[in-house]
Amino acid sequence: MRAQADRRVSLAQGAAVLAFFLLWEAASRSGLADARLLPPPSIVLPKVVELLADETFRRHLVITIQEMLLAGLIAAPLGIGIGLALAESPYLGRAFKPFFHFVAAVPKSVFLPVFILLFGIGFGQKVAFGVFQALFVLVIATSAAVAAVPEELLRLARANGATRRQIWVEIHWNAMLPLILEGLRLGMIFNIAGVIFAEMYVSRAGLGQRFSTWGESFRMPELFAGVLIAAGLSIIVNETLRALERRAGAWRTS
Amino acid sequence: MSATTASPARVEGWRLSPVALRWLCLAILLVLWEIAPRAGWVPQVILAAPSAALIDGLAEWDIFASALLFTFTEILISLCFAYGLGGLAGLVIGLSPFGRKVALPLASSLYALPLVVIYPVMTAWFGIGPASKIWFASLYGLFPVILSTAAGVQLVDRNLITMARAQGARFWPMITEVIIPAALPAVVSGLRVGGALVTVGVVVAEMLAATDGIGFLITQYRTMFQTPQVYFGILLVLVLAGGLDTLISRLERRASRWRPQQDHRHE
Repeated sequence: MRAQADRRVSLAQGAAVLAFFLLWEAASRSGLADARLLPPPSIVLPKVVELLADETFRRHLVITIQEMLLAGLIAAPLGIGIGLALAESPYLGRAFKPFFHFVAAVPKSVFLPVFILLFGIGFGQKVAFGVFQALFVLVIATSAAVAAVPEELLRLARANGATRRQIWVEIHWNAMLPLILEGLRLGMIFNIAGVIFAEMYVSRAGLGQRFSTWGESFRMPELFAGVLIAAGLSIIVNETLRALERRAGAWRTS
Repeated sequence: MSATTASPARVEGWRLSPVALRWLCLAILLVLWEIAPRAGWVPQVILAAPSAALIDGLAEWDIFASALLFTFTEILISLCFAYGLGGLAGLVIGLSPFGRKVALPLASSLYALPLVVIYPVMTAWFGIGPASKIWFASLYGLFPVILSTAAGVQLVDRNLITMARAQGARFWPMITEVIIPAALPAVVSGLRVGGALVTVGVVVAEMLAATDGIGFLITQYRTMFQTPQVYFGILLVLVLAGGLDTLISRLERRASRWRPQQDHRHE
């Protein structure tokens, strides 16, 4: 019964996506939109395949993926570490948590020129900007995760003589993981957007640099294909982390 | 946030209170920032001292003010589109249970996409004038408004609707007098996030390709290596974003003023 309802929902979602592409195709075929400005999917989708087969484009794509992953690898331990420190020490937490909340709420994209002044326009600058985008939401998610550990479970475990290590592995870890993963997912979304934006702004390589160039030279099929590839990239990252999050949080409902 | 209700770590003799520590660190940071470029530890092209940024920035206040006004107008127009269209879409999605199940996951997936990549398309379509900024920023701020409106409508107390229906409320009065006011508090957070995104969207778009506006000005000063003005421009954007956020939350508090009375009765 439930599975059937679920299937109907995913069917409708598939239909909505399909309808979007069909409308897009119809709009540019019928002349409702200028096909030079809005190339139909029947031109854009083959272009995606063509781009992915093209070695030069693949090199740009790999650079963007490297920047994004490296930024993630730096931001994750740093953010989780700071978050844990802020949550575990009430003193540090009271001193610095408001600072992190403040910076997390500030629009961070406007700081990009500062990163160019500090780090130049190369690979390192993109990574640094990605870390900057991802870090704060992760710190906040981690320190919120510590606060979400159920107090009565801890008391119960202690009363039953659990060791410190057991308490950490069995209770803290399991309770915190879903929330930390959610923070990581948000951080990675900001990270990807930040890296691509930095590449679009000033860069010699990367996906974003291609987008700006294509946009300026009105190469619309390539531009739309590139947009679809960037969307695909972030959907893969987002859905992978979301699946992990669901698995880590499965103990709650079961 | 401050859920650490554990007794505020009693200051042991020499230890500073946490609040004092925070301000001390910020003050040290600010002083270092002022001294580092002036003493030549860091080249002045990279880091401008705060005082230099303020002085050089205020010296060119006319230029900054007109750019700021331009940006602000773009933001206001984009806000109208993002709130209007987002609120409407959210209302429609939130009212139908099936639409909610189908459209909400799609909207939240779209929200997760790096929307910046759309901007070159916008400039190709609408040129590098204000039109492309308004389109881009409206789109950028749209999704949080849709999501929070749908969630707010979904959370409306069913008893309110049943009661209104029992008293013979028709479709429009039902929406304008029951559902919207009841959903408003939940919509509030979405409006604030949407407002912040619209602001960022306009400024980011101006930084990428524009002819006027504060983002354009920042980029221009950066290419000319006039570092103090770059920092001053960023500061202005932060003030603009903060001011707009305060304004929005104040308007919302006024709009949902009917609520506390009702809540008091429950208590």
